[in-house]
Amino acid sequence: MNHIINLNVIDYIILGAYVSITIMVGYALKKYMKTSEDFFLSGRSLPSWITSLAFISANLGALEIIGMVANSAKYGILTVHFYWIGAIPAMVFLGVFMMPFYYNTKVRSVPEYLKLRYNEATRGLNAFSFAIMTLLMSGISMYAMALLFELMLGWSLTSSILLSAAVVLIYVFFGGLSSSIYNEVIQFFLIWFGLLPVVFIGLHAAGGFSGLIQKIPPSFLHSWQSMAKASDNPMGVDWVGVVLGLGFVLSFGYWTTDFLVVQRAMASEDLAAAQRTPLMATFPKMLVPILVVIPGLLAVALLPQFSVTAPAGVTPDYNSALVLLLAHYLPNGVLGLAITGLLASFMSGMAGNVTAFNTVWTYDIYGSYIKKNMPDEHYLKMGKYATIFGVLFSVGTAYIVQSFPNLMDYMQLIFSFFSAPLFATFLLGMFWKRATPWGGFWGLLSGILMAAVHYALYRLNVVHYASEMAADFLQAWWAWFADFVVTILVSFVTAKTEESRLVGLVYSLTPRTHHEGKFLRRPAVWGVIAIIAMVVLNIIFW
Amino acid sequence: MNNSNSRPHFFDLKIPLGGLLTFYGSVLLLYGIFGSHAIYAMSFGINVNLIWGIVMILAGGGFLGFSYIRNRR
Repeated sequence: MNHIINLNVIDYIILGAYVSITIMVGYALKKYMKTSEDFFLSGRSLPSWITSLAFISANLGALEIIGMVANSAKYGILTVHFYWIGAIPAMVFLGVFMMPFYYNTKVRSVPEYLKLRYNEATRGLNAFSFAIMTLLMSGISMYAMALLFELMLGWSLTSSILLSAAVVLIYVFFGGLSSSIYNEVIQFFLIWFGLLPVVFIGLHAAGGFSGLIQKIPPSFLHSWQSMAKASDNPMGVDWVGVVLGLGFVLSFGYWTTDFLVVQRAMASEDLAAAQRTPLMATFPKMLVPILVVIPGLLAVALLPQFSVTAPAGVTPDYNSALVLLLAHYLPNGVLGLAITGLLASFMSGMAGNVTAFNTVWTYDIYGSYIKKNMPDEHYLKMGKYATIFGVLFSVGTAYIVQSFPNLMDYMQLIFSFFSAPLFATFLLGMFWKRATPWGGFWGLLSGILMAAVHYALYRLNVVHYASEMAADFLQAWWAWFADFVVTILVSFVTAKTEESRLVGLVYSLTPRTHHEGKFLRRPAVWGVIAIIAMVVLNIIFW
Repeated sequence: MNNSNSRPHFFDLKIPLGGLLTFYGSVLLLYGIFGSHAIYAMSFGINVNLIWGIVMILAGGGFLGFSYIRNRR
């Protein structure tokens, strides 16, 4: 197969340096892994600048970048909704309101909180669905990477899959979560340094921002103006879908309950740092559209196959938009750096999934159902074996996902099955002390089933939406709603938990932590600043 | 768990990170100076490697310098 990018020796030196440093960092962390908490939670000792950047990077993986550049080439500035309303409020909520529960209860995973607040069954349901979801996601990332590297460099799918699997396996095996987090921070910088040159040169080619604006359709330039009716905007979603589906359910479900991201905050050195993790992360998050939305618009403006004048009837391969830009505008050298940034984001996305899987598998499945009360070294060893299993399973998944056309839509679909309803379970669990153990379980199960039923109805053409994305957003909403309603109804007819057992787990029964000291060190202050910044951005790009 | 030596728990990430960025910056800078300049036709004559190499050396050096100052204290 023809490939579109030719790397030279300089590019390969850059790529090789990245692979060696990740392995070295992983290996250097090996000697710090003495207990299972060191391996799974970095000994709860990391400073917040590291956990914040890792928090963002965990979500800046494979599908994020390629998929969001594709979205931007397809839908324009509407893509910012995934970064602003679809992320910031949820991250602020996690930092200000939810983090104290996660951190102060000393739970080691999200399912473990569910066990304390509800019961074993709720934890089991969440732990199993999460373990499956993370391995699927990890396989998807790997497949996406392999596909991209075949297109770019002509590497075969199998060789990229095996290379990335081997590197991730080595560094996670040695350093656990710390390896994963350290590599995510390195990746954060590589992706910015790697992609900014194409943004600058692309803007130069388009004649600056004013030139860019003239070359793209007007409907691509506004984030809210075309949102009144689904049929008026390219995404086929109205504001209700964006606000309820994406902004409320999907985003809160993902950012506040997905252990993959929450685990990063749990690794912080103290509660204040844990609360700062998602709050500080909102600021780089708001800027990520520079790296994804602008390249998408540049593809529309500069590359003939994505432009408005392209022949009708031919659907361009949006997922290749970013790669084609790189091939077109970056000379060797910075080109190798951009490819390295992408490779880093693919690998760290996969590593993040594998480490989250490890932890949930070892603490919530193996340690709770298979072998309880073993010495800590046993679980540390188990975590390392689970890494091997997780990587192998992901490799298998990578070969299975090949039949899905749009990887991004698939990702949203998986989230809406598992994580959208979960947010209702957490919301009621943390803020309504009447929610009962079985209310939590049946609510969560109903939410997942609702998502499945809705998906079947949509596939069988019983319910209709203007676009695939609208279907995903609304599916998330209905799954959440089912969970919310069923949890409340079942809670009224099942046995309550004694209030004394809920202290520290439910908002109204937990003494407030007062943050003494400087105004600027209080989480709520940063939360408000982040929300104001988000509102201002939305107004600018109205 | 005994937390008496919990800080610094792991080595300072700023060192490998700063080292990697500095290394990349140096490679790009040298390639920008000594490599063929014909490849910059695609970037409108802008020697991106040279410019970006300097930027990355500054960023990487910043991390290393910051780490050095903190460890001296």
